[in-house]
Amino acid sequence: MHSDTFYNRNKAYILTVLGLALLTFVFVEFMMIIEWKYFFEYQLHMILTGNLDGVLTPPNSNYEAMVNQAFGPNYTSIAPEIIRASNERQEFIWWVFVAEIAIFCYMYLVNGRQSAEITRPQDQVQVFTLFHRVVIWLNIIVISVLIFTGFNITWGMRSGGGDLVFLLRGMHEMTGIIWLPIWLMMSIIAFKDAKLLFNNSLIKKIILPGKHKPMKRVIYIVFLLMGAGLLISGITIWFIHPDAYTNAQYIQFKRLLLYVHFGTSVLIMFFLMDFIYSVMIAVKGNLKGLVTGKYPREHLEQLAPDVLEDIEDKR
Amino acid sequence: MSKPEYARMKFYCDDNLCIDCNGCVVACKEAHEVPVGINRRKVVTINEGVVGKEMSISMACMHCTDAPCQQVCPVDCFYIRADGIVLHDKDKCIGCGYCLFACPFGAPQFPQDGAFGTKGKMDKCTMCAGGPEETNSHEEFEKYGQNRISEGKVPMCASMCSTKALLVGDANEVASIKTYRSVAQGKGIATESYGW
Repeated sequence: MHSDTFYNRNKAYILTVLGLALLTFVFVEFMMIIEWKYFFEYQLHMILTGNLDGVLTPPNSNYEAMVNQAFGPNYTSIAPEIIRASNERQEFIWWVFVAEIAIFCYMYLVNGRQSAEITRPQDQVQVFTLFHRVVIWLNIIVISVLIFTGFNITWGMRSGGGDLVFLLRGMHEMTGIIWLPIWLMMSIIAFKDAKLLFNNSLIKKIILPGKHKPMKRVIYIVFLLMGAGLLISGITIWFIHPDAYTNAQYIQFKRLLLYVHFGTSVLIMFFLMDFIYSVMIAVKGNLKGLVTGKYPREHLEQLAPDVLEDIEDKR
Repeated sequence: MSKPEYARMKFYCDDNLCIDCNGCVVACKEAHEVPVGINRRKVVTINEGVVGKEMSISMACMHCTDAPCQQVCPVDCFYIRADGIVLHDKDKCIGCGYCLFACPFGAPQFPQDGAFGTKGKMDKCTMCAGGPEETNSHEEFEKYGQNRISEGKVPMCASMCSTKALLVGDANEVASIKTYRSVAQGKGIATESYGW
């Protein structure tokens, strides 16, 4: 019997928040060596004063003034964490993916694969327009390239470096810039909740059909926020190119941005893998529909009635 | 049992003597044909124009014993010679910039010569000790500049320093010179003991 309690209605959000809170607590309490007070004060200082150099208080001595001007301040606040993170990403990040794939294998074994019974394969419904499919597939291709070229840097020790790895690293920067408009388009077309907010024909035409289920809504929010974090940090790191004389003014800001880039990449990867599993593996027939844009009516009736309802409404 | 007598090569810039002439910067760029926009060495001045308080220091890679750049490099392109000079292999370097994030001195330099201004391979002070290529070969000069250490010469920056503010050599020797300058008042170059 289905009970309509607050917990059941909001299970996806509650579990996500609790999971992320637990993960954050473990990381902050046991695994990170960042100086949190400086980390937050620096960001506040940047917002309030627009000053990026990381010098929060005027120097008390010539020595401190020289350090601020020659090397940048508070080296010990963020840099050691960057060094540690760079090393440990190479050593331990494999296990995050192993654990995640193990969870999906378990879910597959327990829940199996959803599939619709199709008796009228000719009765197809157009779900994705050409524009939708172009945006979705460009997004898939660009993110795949970004993941591949990003891990090409992270796991450089395995490849040993060299010109090919160097070229792929440059490609990561270029692909990141290309992703900006594609991420924006994807964020717009996947904003299914816009239909709750605005009721006009343009929204109905641009936004993907159907309603967000709670877990998909969580994935969408993570994609939106973490994608923004990745793009802002990545493009700014690429754009700010201090020389020997301006290094001290920007290096702390670049360290902060690199930290944001590492953190957001880990989170977006987790939820993207979750999305790939739930869309491509957990449900049979979704991949073909993403290519052709059409799904058998029975598939939608059985597995995505909200999508069918939305399309029928439009007519 | 006698202790091994390894040299540990270090730079030291005496801020009491540095006059911000930038001779070391020019000498380095000229000797190694360092491209425009890249400075393996820089001179930083504080309290500029304030009489009695102006202070300058010449900065480059400090060839750390426990170098953070080496720790953080994802392709392990850094290596530390037996005499403590930190060098890197440009054939391995992928220009990711992690060394720049980790370096406390801002020593790694990246040319902006790729498509759309992407970073090139890292360049930094080699203490005039070249790189992994064959010593004094054309390839070594093209990638890393002169290898003066192999010829028994002092690095270019220190050899050109007009006030002898910039010292380089075995850490013990450099410390001895600085100590002598502090205590031998009236004889040769005399500067205050260390401490700002």
